[in-house]
Amino acid sequence: MSSEQDFKPLVVAFCCNWCSYAGADLAGTSRIQYPPNVRIIRVMCSGRVDPQFILRAFEKGADGVLVAGCHPGDCHYLKGNLYARRRVILLKRLLETIGIEPERLRLEWISASEGGKLAEVIHSFVKELEKLGPNPLKEVVK
Amino acid sequence: MSGVIDVVEVGECYVAKSANREWVEKSRHGAVITSLLRYALDSKTVDVALVVEAREGYRFDSVLSIVKESSEIKEPIGAFHCATPNIAKFIKNYLDGARDLKVAVVVKPCDARAIIELAKRNQINLENVLMIGVNCTGTFSPTAFEKILREEFGVDPSSVVYEDIEGDSLIIELENGEQRELNLRELEERGLGRRENCRRCDVKIPRMADLAVGKWGVENDKASLIEVCTSKGAKLLEEAVRANAIVIEKPSEEALRIRDEKVEEAVASARYWQEKALSELSRLSPKERLAHWFRYLDKCVKCFGCRDACPICYCVECYLEPTRGLVPPGEIPPSKLFPLVRLAHVADSCVNCGQCEDVCMADIPLSKLTFILNKQLQEVFHYVPGVSVEEMPPLTVVTDEELLVDLTTALFEKR
Repeated sequence: MSSEQDFKPLVVAFCCNWCSYAGADLAGTSRIQYPPNVRIIRVMCSGRVDPQFILRAFEKGADGVLVAGCHPGDCHYLKGNLYARRRVILLKRLLETIGIEPERLRLEWISASEGGKLAEVIHSFVKELEKLGPNPLKEVVK
Repeated sequence: MSGVIDVVEVGECYVAKSANREWVEKSRHGAVITSLLRYALDSKTVDVALVVEAREGYRFDSVLSIVKESSEIKEPIGAFHCATPNIAKFIKNYLDGARDLKVAVVVKPCDARAIIELAKRNQINLENVLMIGVNCTGTFSPTAFEKILREEFGVDPSSVVYEDIEGDSLIIELENGEQRELNLRELEERGLGRRENCRRCDVKIPRMADLAVGKWGVENDKASLIEVCTSKGAKLLEEAVRANAIVIEKPSEEALRIRDEKVEEAVASARYWQEKALSELSRLSPKERLAHWFRYLDKCVKCFGCRDACPICYCVECYLEPTRGLVPPGEIPPSKLFPLVRLAHVADSCVNCGQCEDVCMADIPLSKLTFILNKQLQEVFHYVPGVSVEEMPPLTVVTDEELLVDLTTALFEKR
């Protein structure tokens, strides 16, 4: 196993098609640097992110999961992001209850014009995960 | 009886007895439920009644049975403390969710809550279900209770004709009329006693049912105290009184006070067990917590028992089936997603009925896990499962006000 120093957290990011994915695109076309630890999965809406997507990401070895959607009121489907918010709130408690740090799951609102924010969020998330260390579920799952 | 009345109002309590003298004599608490069920069938208020019966006369093995004729309900059977039938699931699966059939059913608070949760999900037609609730301080698993009888009381289970919980005492009555008593709290501290979910349950009076019937306040009067909770319940009771099936009168202040005290006492005991479950876990670090749960969860053989028993699990095509590609088949212990996805799906609506734990062949403390999560979710969403049909589970609704709040996961904490 790798030592603490060269632990590179793996982040799975679910980005909504209309805001956050476009935001990630903007970050790319604007040449804004962000850590390469993130694997972006495009979903049509943050409301599409079922609890089991997140749990599966953790089970398969993600150290952190980011759910990114439009700001409330901007959702292409009006309220999809609000459902996502409630779901993430539930999942954070669930993770905490079974013993996975809830900080490993993040919800962020990133609009299509916030390429800089996306980079910032990933920077800070990766930093936080480096402090937390590897996802404890990995050891249990083997 | 003095002060006999025949007008019934929602929200009021009444002291009730069956009008059948012979039954009242035979019964412990006035044979009210027997008479109500018989009246409901006779008057065609319902098509069938769902009752709990002792299988072949053995009271620690009880089964649900469907009764069509009032004559099939022969005499009062008293309370069963070892009967934990899955009533909500029974109505959904075997009575087609009461879609075209009117059903009267005797329910514990958790049964009533499960029925309401299923009604919210359009799985049970609540209009056709008449819920006669009984106050409940907990039930025993039949095998655990037989063990208590044999090893703690030192009696043969088949010689026991009655059992009751009175405050902190567990009381049994033998065939020869002899009564024996043990301290329930002391038994439970040693791992015996009521089912664990029942210890933690703080819903003692099923106010979500149509009528809530109980002995508290009138224990020694061969009568029951009925709280009328819905207009449907009021209608049934009023008609039963007018048809001379039941006699009611106003309860004394004293009776109501005793009832409140008993509820308070029972709820205090529930709080003790709740606190115990919560503090046990909060003492552990995240790593220890994970190890703690997975030590149990690794025993899972993916029998799907918990899913099949859970009244909240109603999906026709379950995500956990191997054909859905999420949890691969043929792996023991199953993928960690098996317990986690189920937890994520039901935790917000768990009614603490304990069916999952009852059926679990690996003795995984599932109801404790769900309880701990549900407790936290109640603090966030202020959603108490199984209380009102109008209130939808928190993950299925969002409000317009939430559109205006830009917070991410701190949404409910800021309020």
